[in-house]
Amino acid sequence: MAIQRRRFLQAAGVGAILGLSGCTGDAEPPQAADGESGSQSESGNGSSGSKQELTLATTTSTYDTGLLDELNPVFEEKFDATVKTIPQGTGAAIETARNGDADVILVHARGAEDEFLKEGYGVNRRDVMFNDFVVVGPADDPAGIEGMESAADAFATIAESEATFVSRGDDSGTNKKELLVWDASGVDPVGKWYREIGKGMGDTLVQADQSGAYTLSDRGTFLATKSKIDLEILVQGPLKGGPTILKNPYGVIPVNPAKYPDVNYSLAMAYAGFLTSPEGQDIIDSYTVDGSQLFFPNALSESPQFGQYVPEDYDGGGNASASVSDAQFEQWVAENVPEDF
Amino acid sequence: MFGLGDLNLTYLVSITLVSLYVSTAAVLVSATLGLPMALAVSFRDFRGKAVVTSIISTGMGFPSVVVGLLVLLALSRSGPLGEFELLFTPEAMILSQTVLALPVLVSVALSAIQSVPQDLRDAAFASGGTSTDVALLVVREARYGIVTALLAAYGRAISEVGSVLIVGGNIVFSDGTSFTRTLTTAITVEARKGNIETGIALGGILLALVLAVNALGARFRDRTPSGGRR
Amino acid sequence: MTDGLVAADITHGFENGAILEDVSLGVEPGEILAVVGPSGTGKTTLFRLLAMFDRPDSGVIEFDGDDVWSMSDARRLEVRRRIGMGFQNRSLFSASVADNVAYGLRVRRSWKERVANAVSGVLGPADYDEAVTTALETVGMADKASRDAGSLSAGEAQRVAIARALAPDPDVLLLDEPTSNLDPRNTAVIEAAMRAARDRGIAVALATHDMQQAQRVSDRTAVLLDGTCIESGATDRVFESPSDDRVRQFVEGKLVY
Repeated sequence: MAIQRRRFLQAAGVGAILGLSGCTGDAEPPQAADGESGSQSESGNGSSGSKQELTLATTTSTYDTGLLDELNPVFEEKFDATVKTIPQGTGAAIETARNGDADVILVHARGAEDEFLKEGYGVNRRDVMFNDFVVVGPADDPAGIEGMESAADAFATIAESEATFVSRGDDSGTNKKELLVWDASGVDPVGKWYREIGKGMGDTLVQADQSGAYTLSDRGTFLATKSKIDLEILVQGPLKGGPTILKNPYGVIPVNPAKYPDVNYSLAMAYAGFLTSPEGQDIIDSYTVDGSQLFFPNALSESPQFGQYVPEDYDGGGNASASVSDAQFEQWVAENVPEDF
Repeated sequence: MFGLGDLNLTYLVSITLVSLYVSTAAVLVSATLGLPMALAVSFRDFRGKAVVTSIISTGMGFPSVVVGLLVLLALSRSGPLGEFELLFTPEAMILSQTVLALPVLVSVALSAIQSVPQDLRDAAFASGGTSTDVALLVVREARYGIVTALLAAYGRAISEVGSVLIVGGNIVFSDGTSFTRTLTTAITVEARKGNIETGIALGGILLALVLAVNALGARFRDRTPSGGRR
Repeated sequence: MTDGLVAADITHGFENGAILEDVSLGVEPGEILAVVGPSGTGKTTLFRLLAMFDRPDSGVIEFDGDDVWSMSDARRLEVRRRIGMGFQNRSLFSASVADNVAYGLRVRRSWKERVANAVSGVLGPADYDEAVTTALETVGMADKASRDAGSLSAGEAQRVAIARALAPDPDVLLLDEPTSNLDPRNTAVIEAAMRAARDRGIAVALATHDMQQAQRVSDRTAVLLDGTCIESGATDRVFESPSDDRVRQFVEGKLVY
């Protein structure tokens, strides 16, 4: 309410903002006039005057599905903080953090995350949750891919029949995954049937629906959008017995405070801790849209999950390999994802 | 309301206020900078005047996303103005909208000012006016055109989406109040979610705002010259 | 050291030849000087120099004996404010008649007064100086003080413009072809206003291509031809026995431009 009132004041006294640097736009309520920037005070000390701020750059899928609307208020309450969520594509979110303009990122592109860590921009990555991708297309399925067990084969078939395929084309996590599948299919998607549209997942689904095209979607956004479109799942993801290549893991990474001393590192760590805590994981686990669970938390496990601390293809000294980690993932799915999902 | 069922009132009001706040501030800053610029360009003869004029009119068509990217580069913590921590704030949006609105304002104001007959400037000077008086007289004579310039700048600012999305970050707090989300960037969110109808309803609010501002301007313009300012 | 406004040895013009060459003339308090000559002969340029729009390329403009271009800017502004001017073209501001006539008085006030006046003008009807009414009476326009200037006929507009020049009570009145587009009735009103100004001790300079008008109203006449002053003296003398042959032809209507 305080924030909203402040908006009114700003709108009314708009002449006073002519000095841009005079107002840095902190989201503190007006009573925080003690000159503190707010980021120095301890969290949860009860003095409502100076809330800490956390800038979270994240993928649109976590935001648009409404998951963060469940998680963030609980975190804010617990840590007396305000979360400023910037919904972007995964590529853009990582770029924002790379420039030091976010405190923490929540994204889904393991390869790009590893690179981000290798370059020293992020520290302490944790697995948070996953869902999976699905290949969707028109009900009449002109390319005939329904029920295929390999996503790569399905893509190759689409390319062969030159059925229209809509690509996000925006360097998002979904886009990165799609390119990975093309890579695996051995086809270079070129031609008038392949359309890069540079839009978010929802727009892409709507556009694919309008043009009777195939596309790759994360399951969460597809479920959230399903009621507005006529597309159907033609190749399932690993949550429903589909190929493991369509797994969609989300990771949280605080920005390295040694690179950018101004980031709110302790709050970023608190956020990572919250998402991977039993409480945060429970919220993720119980979040549903239209009765469907969208994300499966996987931060907590009694068995070792070393894979989240090392690069995706790290061979662990010869014992582990990508196929081993895939096998572990499949086993995890078998144990934890209900049959009737 | 039409298609706005799933958006609560607090959210609607606050994104509308952010839109108004950012655009109004950007137009005020543009006017503060732009009107003296338009006067200077039309009164003074200097080398490169033609170049300046064509830069200004080129600026009218400057793509807003490019402006957004430039402002992003400048305001990023790793950029030259990073220490002010302005990125992802309303002030960053004001900055980028000012860059966009300024050329529109200056161009339209300039043509209004230049259409004031030389005879009137001469009369003001010969009546004992200083150069400031002459400038004020010209502004007064060009007031309809200047109001049009302000309205055009306002329209450019409030309907703009590319740059505010990039430099504002499209942030809404968890209590549903907007920090840097405007009507236009809220529309992109709805479009992304596939909620086309909600997006169009938000567009309706935006349109109503622009109409209201224009009606205000028209009201000012329609006051008779002698009645308006005696 | 003469009172009034004097142009001495003025040469002025653009690269392609001088518009004015070595022109000297002056107007003293309580007289009407007519500067006659065909169109395009430099009358307007000369009057603009007298009104200090521009600095002459060479020569001196003197006001009450002081070179106006060697005085301080502030002092020159004061001198400018002793001079009123009327133009050939319509030059009224888009405001009421009274506002137009009050303009010269308003710019002479301090900024504080002007802001206060503007505010009170918004809140209620502004009260004008008596000078505005007096000036409007001189040209017979007092009853139209509240009219919008844009609604006036050409003749009425020109009369108001002259009232505007007269309202601050100038020492010099410069009128550049004030009646060239007007009907006889409006012309007569303006000529009467000129005479009244002269009778109040104002130095009146009138640029006109109308020889009969010059003969009607002026005390002295200077003839400008191709940027040079070829004859000047008492109006009667100039018209009755011009010393220059071209002036004779011009006066007799034989020299046509």
